[in-house]
Amino acid sequence: MIDPIFNWFDVRLGISGSGRRMVNKIFPDHWSFLIGEIALYSFIVLLGTGIFLTLYFVPSSKIVPYDGSYGPLRGQLVSEAFASTLNLSFAVRGGLLMRQMHHWAANIFVGSIVVHMLRVFFTGAFRKPRELNWIVGSTMLILAIFNGFLGYSLPDDLVSGTGIRISFSIVESIPLIGSYMAFFLFGGNFPGTAIIPRFFILHVLILPAVIVGLLGAHLGMLVRQKHTQFPGKGKTSRNVVGAPLWPNFAAKSGGFMLLVVAVTGFLSAAFQINPIWLYGPYVPYKVSYAVQPDWYMGWLDGALRIMPSWEIVGFGHMVPNVFFPAILLPGITFGVLQAWPFIEARLTHDYADHQILDRPRDKPKRTAFGAAVFAFYFVLFGASATDVLANYLSISLNVVLTSFRFLVILVPLIVYPVAYQICKELQSVPTAGQRKRANVIMRSSEGGYTTVPSEPRPGDVELSLDPLPLDEDVELVPVMAGAPAGGDDGSTGPGGSTGGGSTGGGSTGPGGSSRSQPPPAEDQGARPKGGIFTIPRDYR
Amino acid sequence: MPENAGGPTGSPEQVPSGHKKIPVSAARPDAPQFQVAAKNPRRAERVAVSGFLLSAAGFAGFGACYWQNYSNFWLAITFTIGFAGLGYGLVVWGKYLMPRGPFEETRHSLEPTPTQREEFMEDFASRGKMAVERRGVLLKALGLASGILGVVLAFPLIRSLGPLPKTTLRKTAWRKGSYLVDITGRKIKPADIEVGGFVTVFPPDDVGGAYSQTMLIHVTLLESGYMKPPPQFAQQRATWAPLGYIAFSKVCTHAGCPVGLYEELTEKMLCPCHQSLFDVTDAAIPIFGPAPRPLPQLPLYIDDEGYFRAQDGYNEPVGPGYWERGND
Amino acid sequence: MTSPTLWRRALLTLALLVSASFVGVFVLGGGRGDASRASGSTEVASASLTSQDSPTDADELAAGRTLFVENCSSCHGISAEGGVRAPPLLGVGGATVDLWLSSGWMPLAEPAAEPERKPAKFDRAQVLEIVRYVTSLAPTTPGNPGIPFGLEISHADVAEGFSLFALNCAPCHTITGAGDALADGIQAPSLHGVTKTMVWEAIRTGPGNMPRFGPGTISPGQVVDIVGYVVENIQQPVSPGGFSLGGVGPVAEGFVGLFVGVGLTLLAALWVGDRNEPEEDEGHEGHEGPEGGDGHAGDHTGIQHGELAHA
Repeated sequence: MIDPIFNWFDVRLGISGSGRRMVNKIFPDHWSFLIGEIALYSFIVLLGTGIFLTLYFVPSSKIVPYDGSYGPLRGQLVSEAFASTLNLSFAVRGGLLMRQMHHWAANIFVGSIVVHMLRVFFTGAFRKPRELNWIVGSTMLILAIFNGFLGYSLPDDLVSGTGIRISFSIVESIPLIGSYMAFFLFGGNFPGTAIIPRFFILHVLILPAVIVGLLGAHLGMLVRQKHTQFPGKGKTSRNVVGAPLWPNFAAKSGGFMLLVVAVTGFLSAAFQINPIWLYGPYVPYKVSYAVQPDWYMGWLDGALRIMPSWEIVGFGHMVPNVFFPAILLPGITFGVLQAWPFIEARLTHDYADHQILDRPRDKPKRTAFGAAVFAFYFVLFGASATDVLANYLSISLNVVLTSFRFLVILVPLIVYPVAYQICKELQSVPTAGQRKRANVIMRSSEGGYTTVPSEPRPGDVELSLDPLPLDEDVELVPVMAGAPAGGDDGSTGPGGSTGGGSTGGGSTGPGGSSRSQPPPAEDQGARPKGGIFTIPRDYR
Repeated sequence: MPENAGGPTGSPEQVPSGHKKIPVSAARPDAPQFQVAAKNPRRAERVAVSGFLLSAAGFAGFGACYWQNYSNFWLAITFTIGFAGLGYGLVVWGKYLMPRGPFEETRHSLEPTPTQREEFMEDFASRGKMAVERRGVLLKALGLASGILGVVLAFPLIRSLGPLPKTTLRKTAWRKGSYLVDITGRKIKPADIEVGGFVTVFPPDDVGGAYSQTMLIHVTLLESGYMKPPPQFAQQRATWAPLGYIAFSKVCTHAGCPVGLYEELTEKMLCPCHQSLFDVTDAAIPIFGPAPRPLPQLPLYIDDEGYFRAQDGYNEPVGPGYWERGND
Repeated sequence: MTSPTLWRRALLTLALLVSASFVGVFVLGGGRGDASRASGSTEVASASLTSQDSPTDADELAAGRTLFVENCSSCHGISAEGGVRAPPLLGVGGATVDLWLSSGWMPLAEPAAEPERKPAKFDRAQVLEIVRYVTSLAPTTPGNPGIPFGLEISHADVAEGFSLFALNCAPCHTITGAGDALADGIQAPSLHGVTKTMVWEAIRTGPGNMPRFGPGTISPGQVVDIVGYVVENIQQPVSPGGFSLGGVGPVAEGFVGLFVGVGLTLLAALWVGDRNEPEEDEGHEGHEGPEGGDGHAGDHTGIQHGELAHA
């Protein structure tokens, strides 16, 4: 039955010709390459649930009395947007499920974009020739964050409406053009009646269209340039090793998409999100405590809270306080983010093509820098919950806020050297992070004990309990600090010598040390290198 | 779920594939790479089938729950089971019942060879050059038209979006003599507010207004006279707070949230958004948090009938700062 | 029995009966219109709530006096005149005393401690005895309410209550009544686990840093509406969407979305995808691989060596 249908299209579109290459395309299969797909599939969930929601949501600020089923709001004057969202939650069959899935999928969407971005950053996949893809991707991050803000503001409830008021003040704070931009965007002074309809069309049409376009470019470049791959046996910069698009990749990715949908469904079953009926409609003179934005805006909220009360006033003009944490900070953030491939190329003088990924530990400076920057934004994100933290930990709010002002500087300064050191430690032990093959202690029939390696599994590294034998020609000489010991090679030195001392196989013996270099003369007898994370190469 | 755990844990086991990698297009069906990955394909099949059957049950349950209008929980759980089962089965199929590979593909450099570049330049640039060379006037005229279009587009795209701010941000609806009314429009007398109490008030012609919202607080019991302003306002604000009642703008000078939180004993107002703390006895100067300026104070008096009225509007713009605000 | 004794007994019996009926009217009766849902309820109706019964018989007060002397007088003075550590209680009214005792703020855990919500030390009867005693020490200052006996909220207009709650209460207690931290270590407590009487008393007496909402700002009917909303919808919120995450809003939702949502999908990705094989030095930029060893045990990457692959 399929053949005649396929034939009909093939004759007109020439699928067999060009399709063969597509079908045979190879995709590397590492699990961390699927993180971007989490974002893609949660975006599809957003589109699907979003279409359902647009059928019932009324994007209007017109005030109507609510006459639905939720008692505490009956008869209250609310906007049509709020009333229609209540209607979706209580009256439309499956409406609450769609609303919750939409909101949870949005959280997962932005979360997986961030994790995906971190993966790309720490493995260096943004280097030439993929700088453009990095720029496209980070633009999508900005749009996703912004679209999420627009989306949760649509129901016009008390909590999100407070966020809209803050966003008006932020736009207003831009020097020279701020008040004009705010009035243009909002169609007048706050609150006005234009904001919900405008947010709506931005949220359901304009931004999703731009995101879809960028997504197409993102995936198109990926297909054209082919995916990067981790170093491994048989993997070079001239090939791609993995599974073909058809049928392997299609099945696994299709299944993965369904699993992402299932996770969204699970969250919608178990956890309530954005219960706007408990918040009530937005009214400009009412406010609630413990109002934070959704988590991906948390770093902005935290920055607003911990920013000292500085303001620049002079010559009849003012640069208001919120400009610095809410315009300048994100401007610098996203500017540096977009430009990072070029910044790093300049700093490392590395303008070559890269098709093989780095292990994060192999680029300790980049990894440490990325970790420190991430820690900075993480502390800002934590700072958005100052009041909630003060409440739950029973600490004074003032103390919490002041602490965050220090933490936001101190934590990144601590994270950088710690991450750097961890990378260095992991580098010195080649089997770090790999699954060790266990030894099983067996009792023989004679009553003695032997160790037997357990069943090998892929990726196992042998870790023998036998100490490595000494080289015959090595003389053990008691060493004193500074006294050169003669003639030994690196195999007697405990600690992480840089020769990559593997613990592979008890029988490797001298072979194990053939690659290591003797430590420089002045190091012999000195304290072993390495630190708290080092696994000694032998057990002496 | 370690993929090769195998055995009693439930997931099928993979055959070690360790063969030479080959281009997928070059493989023949009898090549080792084309064999399925599972050690026990029958078992893998059974696992996948059970996943699909579970999914079928889930989706059927979803249909039933929808038809019978069950709660969100049941709709979502059946939905989840349906998709999870389907996804699980499909992934098991893809991992264990498909050609195990490994396959490779050549990665051709996308950089053009010098010949390619030359040919492209030939076709594109040289023909184009013919059209454009010595056509300076043409190009300039085109530039003029496009430029004007670009500038003019700003009007429908940007300017028509909203009105000019002009002086809108400078003034509120408070005037000399405005009554202070609550959200129901009722005028307020001093006796209405207990010591340590407050009311949200508005001018009568802007009840519920976003910028005119004001906190009227009974700070302390004074039989007569006025609350003492801080030294820098001793002259200007001497009569602004009669009988221990004081009124401040409710719009936070930081980011515009309503400062609705009054701490009775410490006599402070706290903004719930970013925790700016204003000292009510000290002209609402911010003593903690990010707010840069004090809350504007509304000058009060009590008229002959005993109602609160404003001596005048606010003497500075309320709310957050903006470029033109200067030092008002 | 001599006639003076009989006379005294008759008087005593009469006094007891009068007091009992007085108490009975307040404890069992009610519905004097003070619980009307109309916001325009008059002050007269509220007066019936605010007036307290003031039995004068010494025996009636004995139990309360004992409890007061044992638990309160060390800070508040033997006659509730106040002291260095505690304010005077003369004329504060029954509602204040009831609230501070029912909430467990008083007595303090230690003399220097901050008041904190804890299980009330006294049962209801004991609390009423203490209230009776303290209010008997001095006339209640006008405006300080008594215990709202017979508080009836079944006709409360919860919609009106919600609106008032959002305007006056949500800025400190949060819109879901979860409570939050104010400045300088003060806390606006959670509204879960409080009785309707406590909510009424808190609104009217403004304990601690809480502002005081008298009849001029929130009318008697409106107080009932707010109490009704708190008891019905704050304490038992409608949560059709699942576990309500403490009513804290986006903070908790963010944690769940990231750790549960993204976490589960990452676990799924770990299952669907492959792990890295241990690296070899071949074709790898600048990193030394593990030593070769013998052909079997040392070589794990195996695309070419017939070993386990797709680790």
